[in-house]
Amino acid sequence: MADDKTPAPAPDNPYTQTHVVVSGDTLSKIAQKYYGDASLYTKIFQANRDVLSDPNKISPGQKLRIP
Amino acid sequence: MKKLSVWLLTSLVAVLIVDCANQKVPAEAAIANAESAIAPIRDAAQKYVPDQMQAVDAQLNSLKDSLAKGDYAAVVAGAPALTTAISSLKDAAAAKQADAEAAIAKAKDAWTGLSTDLPKMVDAIQSRVDVLSKSHHLPKGVTKDSLAAAKSGLDSMKGAWSDASNAATSGDFTTAVTKAQAVKDQATQIMQSLGMTSS
Repeated sequence: MADDKTPAPAPDNPYTQTHVVVSGDTLSKIAQKYYGDASLYTKIFQANRDVLSDPNKISPGQKLRIP
Repeated sequence: MKKLSVWLLTSLVAVLIVDCANQKVPAEAAIANAESAIAPIRDAAQKYVPDQMQAVDAQLNSLKDSLAKGDYAAVVAGAPALTTAISSLKDAAAAKQADAEAAIAKAKDAWTGLSTDLPKMVDAIQSRVDVLSKSHHLPKGVTKDSLAAAKSGLDSMKGAWSDASNAATSGDFTTAVTKAQAVKDQATQIMQSLGMTSS
């Protein structure tokens, strides 16, 4: 996993953008959508460690914070 | 006949002196009462209705001049108008003070909301700028210019936010809210430019 020094957004920050996972989503695809760079999926993973234990396992309906 | 004239003249002068002496006491009382009525409202009146305060002072000073010149009749005659003016001054100052206090209370409420929201908006933008700065390609709808503008906007927002906080700390909530609202507007604009407002 890539190094990630970006602090995770506060879980209760209502201004942090969110993404609701749909079927076929991967963290890479989500990173591509919001950052234009799939390799930055680790930023999303780190920001959602409270709900994700594996970057390869996300489920439809999950609401992810997009820092 | 001459004796009678002298007697009449003397009597007339005596009447005038007595009359004058009779008006001195109420004239002095009128000035004293006016000054007593103004004293407790002077500070508020000077703050909230300075023009009206100035007009009442001018009216009072005019009567004091008359008193000093011994024109007690003028003082007594002018006293009711001064009393009315002081009463209007008191009402106007109280109304303006109530308006000002209501505005401050409203500003305090607005500040409470802004002071909660704005740091979170700035944090969210900072996080996104940090991530996008590491991106090899920017997402659809985000340009290099908008990212650069967001970076410089963050700096100016932090400065303006500091100014707003200082104003609030010093009790100037109206200024604090004005500055904070400008920061919020800027933050909203930056969030839109970075595509942070849709999911």
